[in-house]
Amino acid sequence: MDDHEAIERCRAGDNEAFRHVVERYQAEAIGHAIAILGNREDAMDAVQDAFIDAFKALDRLDLTRRFYPWFYVILRNRCYKLAEGRKNRDMGNVDEMQILAPTASLQPEDTNLLERAMLELPIEDRELITLRHLDGLSYQELAERLKVPPGTIMSRLYHARKLLRKKLVRYSFAGFSER
Amino acid sequence: MVDSDCENICMAAMAIADGYQPELSAERIEAHLADCSDCRREISQLQALSSLFATQQRLRRTEDVWNRIERELPDASASRSTARASYSFMVLGVLLLGYRLIELIPDRHFGFLFKLVPVLVVIAAFAYLRENPFKIDSDLRLEGVTR
Repeated sequence: MDDHEAIERCRAGDNEAFRHVVERYQAEAIGHAIAILGNREDAMDAVQDAFIDAFKALDRLDLTRRFYPWFYVILRNRCYKLAEGRKNRDMGNVDEMQILAPTASLQPEDTNLLERAMLELPIEDRELITLRHLDGLSYQELAERLKVPPGTIMSRLYHARKLLRKKLVRYSFAGFSER
Repeated sequence: MVDSDCENICMAAMAIADGYQPELSAERIEAHLADCSDCRREISQLQALSSLFATQQRLRRTEDVWNRIERELPDASASRSTARASYSFMVLGVLLLGYRLIELIPDRHFGFLFKLVPVLVVIAAFAYLRENPFKIDSDLRLEGVTR
């Protein structure tokens, strides 16, 4: 069943059809929510609430457009609301974050350091870095998804990268040094 | 060169490396970089960051949230049918008000069948909503409890 059919069936009252949508996108959604929130439990709550919000709003989805970019805006709102609410709580910890898959090119300790440095970024920067570098979104796609002009993406991405580089220098990450 | 120029050049150079065409021309960027070792170093470090990420992939999550979501969906579905019912009853109200206004026109007698119009409209509304107006719902539900 493709998204279009599943959503039409949901709109007709078939809740089970929504399962196809959830199962198709939950891994991606959880990955994005963890990247924004830096905390697995909060991310699971945000994803759950976002899917329910999306289900309630399915009537407003334009079926000529793809589901996930539309859903991402809902998920993002949920994540930022949760992040706002937990300002006085501890930030996530790197063991819960785990956004990077193990690779042969990096030792596990280095992967851990990179994740730690990302966790220290402001959430807007972390979101932008992961969408650009892990999802490979273009400036145009980022602009559409984050509802800002491409020029703003260029500037924000530049500053986010600079900040991340600074943190990697502080962690003495191989290949990154003070000028 | 002032720092803001350097920043704009670095920003534009990174954008070009990412496949985006900024307002600054490639010639102007190249001319600046030819003279500015600070910018060359800065760009080189930022590109090292891009290269680092080029070898990384997002961890594929395996958690299943369907069980958590499924429990909430009947309420969501109900809220959608509640919205539909609210709209239908609003239309019904407007129709009955219109009927009443027509009925108030003095010295006009529309006959017996006209008096049946409100009854027929109400029956049609309940048939459309597939609701039984005589149904008594004895289930107690706590509204607003989601978890």
